[in-house]
Amino acid sequence: MAETPKTKKSKASSNKTPNLKQSISPPTPQISTTTNTTAPRRSLRLTSATPQKFQQSAVTTPNIRQNAPLGSPTTISLAPASPQLTESKRKRKIENGKNEGLETKRASRNVDKNARKGSGRKRVYYKKVVYDGGEFSAGDDVYVKRREEAASDDEDPVVEECRVCFKPVGKRIMIECDECLNGYHLKCLKPPTKEVPAGSWICNYCEARKSGKKAEFPDPPKGKKRARTAREKLISSDLWAAHIDSLWKDVDGTYWFRARWYVIPEETSVGRQPHNLRRELYLTNDFADVEMESVIRHCFVMNPKEFSKADNEGDDVFLCEYEYNIQWQSFKRIAEIDNNEDDGGVDSDDDWNSCDDSESDTEEDMEYDIEKGHCLLSGPSPAHSLAANSRKGQIYGLQKIGTKTIPEHVRCRKQTDLEWAKAMLLLATLPKSLTCRDKEMDEITTFIKDAICDERCLGRCLYIHGVPGTGKTMSVLAVMRNMRSEVDAGSIRPYCFVEINGLKLASPESVYSVIYEGLSGHKVGWKKALNFLTERFSGENKCWKKDSKPCVLLIDELDLLVTRNQSVLYNILDWPTKPNSKLIVIGIANTMDLPEKLLPRISSRMGIQRLCFSPYNYQQLQEIISSRLKGIYAFEEYAVEFASRKVAAVSGDARRALEICRRAAEIADYRAKSLPLSNSNTAVIVGMGDVEAAIKEMFQAPHIQVIRSCSKLSKIFLAAMVHELYKTGMGETTFEKMAVTVSCFCSSNGELFPGYDTLLKVGCKLGECRILLCESGAKHKLQKLQLNYPSDDVTFALKDSKDLPWLAKYL
Amino acid sequence: MRRENHAEQAQIIIRSRLCSPSFIFSILSDSPDSNYSKLKYIVSSSVTEACNNSVLLLGPRGCGKNAVLELVLEDILKEHPDMISVIKLSGLLHCDDSCALKEIARQLCIEHQLLFSKMASSDDNTQFLVSMLRECGFAHKTIIFVLNEFDLFAQGKQRLLYSLLDAMQSVTSQAVVIGVSCRLDADQLLEKRVRSRFSHRKLLFLHLSRDDLHRLLEHILLLPTDGSLPHDYVAAFNTKLLHILADENFHGIIDVLSYPYSTVSELSRFLFSTVCRMDLNPGILSLENFKAALTSVQRQPKMEGLKDCSILELYVLVCMKRLEVKELESCNFNSIMEEYKSIHDTFQTSDYYARNVCLRAFEHLLQRGLISFEDNRGHLQSSEFRPVKLLISWHELQQGLKSHLSCPVLLHKLMDRGN
Repeated sequence: MAETPKTKKSKASSNKTPNLKQSISPPTPQISTTTNTTAPRRSLRLTSATPQKFQQSAVTTPNIRQNAPLGSPTTISLAPASPQLTESKRKRKIENGKNEGLETKRASRNVDKNARKGSGRKRVYYKKVVYDGGEFSAGDDVYVKRREEAASDDEDPVVEECRVCFKPVGKRIMIECDECLNGYHLKCLKPPTKEVPAGSWICNYCEARKSGKKAEFPDPPKGKKRARTAREKLISSDLWAAHIDSLWKDVDGTYWFRARWYVIPEETSVGRQPHNLRRELYLTNDFADVEMESVIRHCFVMNPKEFSKADNEGDDVFLCEYEYNIQWQSFKRIAEIDNNEDDGGVDSDDDWNSCDDSESDTEEDMEYDIEKGHCLLSGPSPAHSLAANSRKGQIYGLQKIGTKTIPEHVRCRKQTDLEWAKAMLLLATLPKSLTCRDKEMDEITTFIKDAICDERCLGRCLYIHGVPGTGKTMSVLAVMRNMRSEVDAGSIRPYCFVEINGLKLASPESVYSVIYEGLSGHKVGWKKALNFLTERFSGENKCWKKDSKPCVLLIDELDLLVTRNQSVLYNILDWPTKPNSKLIVIGIANTMDLPEKLLPRISSRMGIQRLCFSPYNYQQLQEIISSRLKGIYAFEEYAVEFASRKVAAVSGDARRALEICRRAAEIADYRAKSLPLSNSNTAVIVGMGDVEAAIKEMFQAPHIQVIRSCSKLSKIFLAAMVHELYKTGMGETTFEKMAVTVSCFCSSNGELFPGYDTLLKVGCKLGECRILLCESGAKHKLQKLQLNYPSDDVTFALKDSKDLPWLAKYL
Repeated sequence: MRRENHAEQAQIIIRSRLCSPSFIFSILSDSPDSNYSKLKYIVSSSVTEACNNSVLLLGPRGCGKNAVLELVLEDILKEHPDMISVIKLSGLLHCDDSCALKEIARQLCIEHQLLFSKMASSDDNTQFLVSMLRECGFAHKTIIFVLNEFDLFAQGKQRLLYSLLDAMQSVTSQAVVIGVSCRLDADQLLEKRVRSRFSHRKLLFLHLSRDDLHRLLEHILLLPTDGSLPHDYVAAFNTKLLHILADENFHGIIDVLSYPYSTVSELSRFLFSTVCRMDLNPGILSLENFKAALTSVQRQPKMEGLKDCSILELYVLVCMKRLEVKELESCNFNSIMEEYKSIHDTFQTSDYYARNVCLRAFEHLLQRGLISFEDNRGHLQSSEFRPVKLLISWHELQQGLKSHLSCPVLLHKLMDRGN
């Protein structure tokens, strides 16, 4: 298990091996001194920041990192350290007498390759190393000594002491001040409390300081020097924190690891910002090889979600939300994996798959990959020579993007219920649970499971249709997510999943290359891809046959693939019928009768299994909205019902319903913000009025308002149009007739007739707004005119206009 | 001499005001109901709350959609420097999807100092766009897409709109799409799957109301008292101006001006020509300036075209008119010549010209747009044989003949008789 080179991590690193190998020798002597001398970290950073060094450093690109967990279920064989191995480790530990313990051999392939390449040295990579009593594995975060003597002056107390009584935690509960991060026993507080206060808590001393008073912390009892914890040292920049990227044993038997440094806010270019938390760290893109000797012990750097959950995990907990780019001195949020899940789609899967298959890649390809890795992270020099948008979807220079300072407003919490509600109603926010589509999701699940688990795995097609915004794609993706976790659990055979959106393809034919890329990671032209795919699915090719997993192909907006001779659709739908194809096609489109519109040979292949997503009814819409708004009191209940009834009556589109509610919340928020400050304390709730306004904005055509506000002559013109329509019964009229009617209106009501040319221009302007449909003005008197809106609307708008009361008699 | 200097300076001040839409619209934007504050709220809340929005700005041309948008973007850029990149596209230039994607990639590259390649395929550009959206989202940067002439983007498959709006459905991206269009039914043009992804905020820009118009007049024309101009001159200018603004005659002028169209652009055109007519010696605007400007703004091109016609051209027009009254199916130059000849035969006019001269007059009329060929077919045919039709109506022709200085009496008679 441990030896399998199929783990994601190891493969990611295997890409880099050739490069690493060359680079090992130069940096080693330089850095090996760090543990013995008192080299300050700054200088070390500087040396490591030189471009040349970056060339050598093998870097896990952030791209790969963030995509790694996204990977298709094809590679689920992550190799955790099995219990037996741990035992063996213990044994070895005893044997060695000292603190080095071998653990999992990491990616033996690498070693092989190194050996093959003929360099005499060997570097052995490990997944986990037991060193000095602690167990370190790649991906852990550790404290690193900064100065030799500083670290050795006293043993680090792992246990934090109470700031008042200077006794360790013991059995009593200790709480932490959010300001100074000191710990206090509940008993030592003034007044002593029994329970942990909810929310944020600030100690008496800090509170006093904040209000301007002087408050001294109690002095430690005599003879006892107040011990500083590692956390305090780190925050006062006497220690470093680093992320272990990889671990290895060097030729001379010393243990090394590749460290990715963390910095404290003070060490960034902008310094500590008011919004920075005390325990905040930034992950840098700065790497160095460090000997294991300088590691002190573990610390725990968490993302905000984990951090907010971490209550009792001791003192060594830190928050890291941003990545800090040293060259550009800019910040960027670290991608959260679960957030990323839904946006990935084709691109990220492709990214991942291409790494996946590197086993079969040639050497050159690997080098190319390495290059990619560098360009993404390293300094400006390589990025300059490459265009950002042109190379096979690899984008250069993205590291330049980042904020110089993190804006304060993004860090503050959502204040009011309204703002929460707005955030929850965003289309992008994935709800925790999908409501109202259980039946359909079950059906999809059983369909896929049947298809996959079938021994023969006969290919099948499923056609899903329904109006936009009824959760078609979302349901399928949710099913796939569930399936993936089942694959991880081992209850289903692994399969690969390719997602395609018809509207995002350049041409229908390019679907072949996208599918092929999704399956193999290579980019080829569509004709070649078509050949390969036909070979694969018809089972002619030997090498495909061996490892062919079932493949689930999701094609969104299927109707866009319809070409003149419909060959693309035919090919895609024909593959599943071949024996051994192991292909499952799920097509999604809006029209119900798409199969019937197609050639019979296609519809017979596609139209067998269908699933209809009917539009949501108002109860379902209401449920969807209120499930998102659970626990937020911002909407009147009737308001939600009103919105959902309205949408259900028109389209049953959940996106619409959510947008209406969000817009209503915005309107209410806008109203609340424009209130004078004195009233601002009263919470504004979204009421019927706001929803009404939002619905109006979305559904009402604005022509009535425009007609009401337009100039007198335009109104007369429109009235003449309506008059003409009623008189002749013909929708279409010419400008000449209109002009006669208008001049007749004007002369009999004492208005000025401004001349034909002006009138023509007025007509053209109305045509521009599409209140009228008209031909170009060059045709002058022969220009044909027609009302674009029902004449009743125009009548309604003009009936009681104040400046032209006489119009009513012609309408 | 000094006075003239001041007058020139005042002219420059007012002209520069008229040429900057942001100045004109700054007065209309302070109330909370104005489009400015609504749009600003939408954009700034999507910047600060990291959400995606799409807005349509609708309204007739000349009502300040783009001007207000510019104002808002300027203010937002000032408030959140370095957090916003604005991508501007115009439907007239970039309605082709791949071309629009390329332009987006180009502008993004410029904005972020990346190297841009013209050779990139539209697939590459799409991917570039998607990853830029993601990266900018991570860096808390908002990308604002301004799509001018939005209706033209809604042609064809609408791939661009779909991929933009679909990319905005993820949490990581942070973008605002602002569509500007003069078509009131622009959102109906969207395909239904695109429309479903559009968030349907609509801001409507309306014509100027009377009150706004008067506020605007004062806002533009009154000289600043704290400027470089001497105090007494400014005082004299402003008192005279306020006097004019309160005048009945002036109200009449404004009524005539806003009778056909009451847009801001029309008003500023009018004021510009007024200011240019200002007499430099007193250096103060007078009512006559406004009157003169009104006539120069409201032109009647066809009437003026008629006024400049030669006698022979008038003959040709009247002949065509007579043929039209006779309800002949179609006429061409030859049938017109026959009619002309018959008029000459019956009335023995002195204005009889040879055929080639008449042909020249006929071609002249074609070029002026008073008459036109019936269809675009038959380019190879010479113009004499192609069917033509009259573009001006009987009323216009009659009026034109009346206002013509040397129109023969015979033509008037013919016109009356023909009717």
